[in-house]
Amino acid sequence: MVSVERVMREIEDDLRRERRTRLLAKGAPTEYRDQELYATVERVLRRAVESRDHGAILLPELISDDEEWQLETHLTFSSHRPIVGPVIVFFKRRVLLPLTRWLFEYSLENFQRQQRVNRILFACIEELAIENARLRQDLQGK
Amino acid sequence: MKLACVIHRYGADIAGGSEGHCRSIAERLAQNHDVTILTSTAKDHITWRNEYPAGLTEAGPVRLRRFPVVRQRSLHRFREISEAVFSGGAPESEQEQWFRENGPEVPELLAWLERHGRDFDRILFWSFRYYQTFFGLPLVADRAILVPTAEEDPVIRFGLLDRFFAKPAGYLFLTPEEQTLVAQHTSQPLAPSAVIGIGLDPPRQRPPRTIASVSQPYVLYLGRIDPNKGCETLLRYFLKRQETAGGREQLVMAGPANMPIPDHRSIVRLGYIEEEARDTLLANAAALIVPSPYESLSIVLLEAWNHGVAALVNGRCSVLKGQALRSDGALYYHNYDEFARGLDRLLDGTDFARQLGQQGLAYVEREYRWPQVMAKVGRLLLATEGRSVKFKI
Repeated sequence: MVSVERVMREIEDDLRRERRTRLLAKGAPTEYRDQELYATVERVLRRAVESRDHGAILLPELISDDEEWQLETHLTFSSHRPIVGPVIVFFKRRVLLPLTRWLFEYSLENFQRQQRVNRILFACIEELAIENARLRQDLQGK
Repeated sequence: MKLACVIHRYGADIAGGSEGHCRSIAERLAQNHDVTILTSTAKDHITWRNEYPAGLTEAGPVRLRRFPVVRQRSLHRFREISEAVFSGGAPESEQEQWFRENGPEVPELLAWLERHGRDFDRILFWSFRYYQTFFGLPLVADRAILVPTAEEDPVIRFGLLDRFFAKPAGYLFLTPEEQTLVAQHTSQPLAPSAVIGIGLDPPRQRPPRTIASVSQPYVLYLGRIDPNKGCETLLRYFLKRQETAGGREQLVMAGPANMPIPDHRSIVRLGYIEEEARDTLLANAAALIVPSPYESLSIVLLEAWNHGVAALVNGRCSVLKGQALRSDGALYYHNYDEFARGLDRLLDGTDFARQLGQQGLAYVEREYRWPQVMAKVGRLLLATEGRSVKFKI
């Protein structure tokens, strides 16, 4: 009987060793010479990248106003002019947008990538904060 | 029991996953129950253009009632509203409008449900993301069984789903991960539910045949070739591995393509293939690759195991990772390094991949044969009895 969990652990351990060696050769922090410390760092960051629901993160809630951090990845057309407004919106939507759609779609992909990186970074910070809070609790308990 | 099955489109010639799931369950339910399908006249899931005639017909063992779509999907408008609501913070009215734009808009089906819904003992709804389910289920909630086919995509985060997921009288889930996902997105306790997956018959024994341009060994991708299915990443990873490790295997991609596929000696494009060729490809593959980041159940993965073939799946999709771990029939990856290492293991020429494939097959035998699946459906239909008005037997 082959256990997939065990095989995957072996693969992940091998890759972790290789990554650590590669990073150290490139000049990564000397703390990574400590194999266990490196494994802990990687575990915390991987948890943030792979296991967290990036739609349920505390930091954006604290910033509260989406406009302050959320990348605007959709277009909204509006006009403040009361009578010709609808005509202007129609013109923007039906003439300007088709002409510039290629540019919109090109930047959209990049914005979406940036959005993903932002959320991963938020998750990383939160994982570190959780780790820190746990350590504090442990210290206070002692 | 008198049952209705509500689905966005229906037909033997429709290839979609939830549509196939609905048809196979409905036809088996019809062996013991009176089953009516309520659906649209659309065939194309992009435009929802009316193609089938509206009205009542017989379709094998089931009665089939089709309703016209009043508005084709405007892709332009759909993309705009998707961008707006997926980025978060959209008001509930806009989220509701998303379901309208997603379609297929079949108001006559809703009116019919309002008039005749109470004539049925149970009404099964497939796929919460489509118009007929989102707007139809609340009309007959006391007898509604939802097959959500939910995935970890942005739609599941819509705030208004909190109330919607509290409405059905029961649930049929495809995997335990889907059950957890839906439970996470409602503040109410979930109605009685069962995890059923889908049933598979043992594979037919076919005479050996060869497919031109395909040579052993090959890894197989089977399904729609689309960036949303993780195919861009698959191609990038596979070609990188070929360049760095000098692999001699082919990647065979069989299915309709919605994206460009690079010209490369290691990549074989087959386009749409018939069932017989599909079986041949599956039976002879060194491994199946499932790169999709969003799945509520990977049927093709079960089919590979049904042929005793191991797989490599995207570990970022919790459903695929869960299927791999539960079956011990597939490896998974989160990044390129794990993809390359996993493929190395599956193609190392030892008995490893065969053993994994056999474990996958044993899992299918245990969980995914039709009698087991239909027994779970039957128990759930009975378990939800008290939640609807008393039904007639």
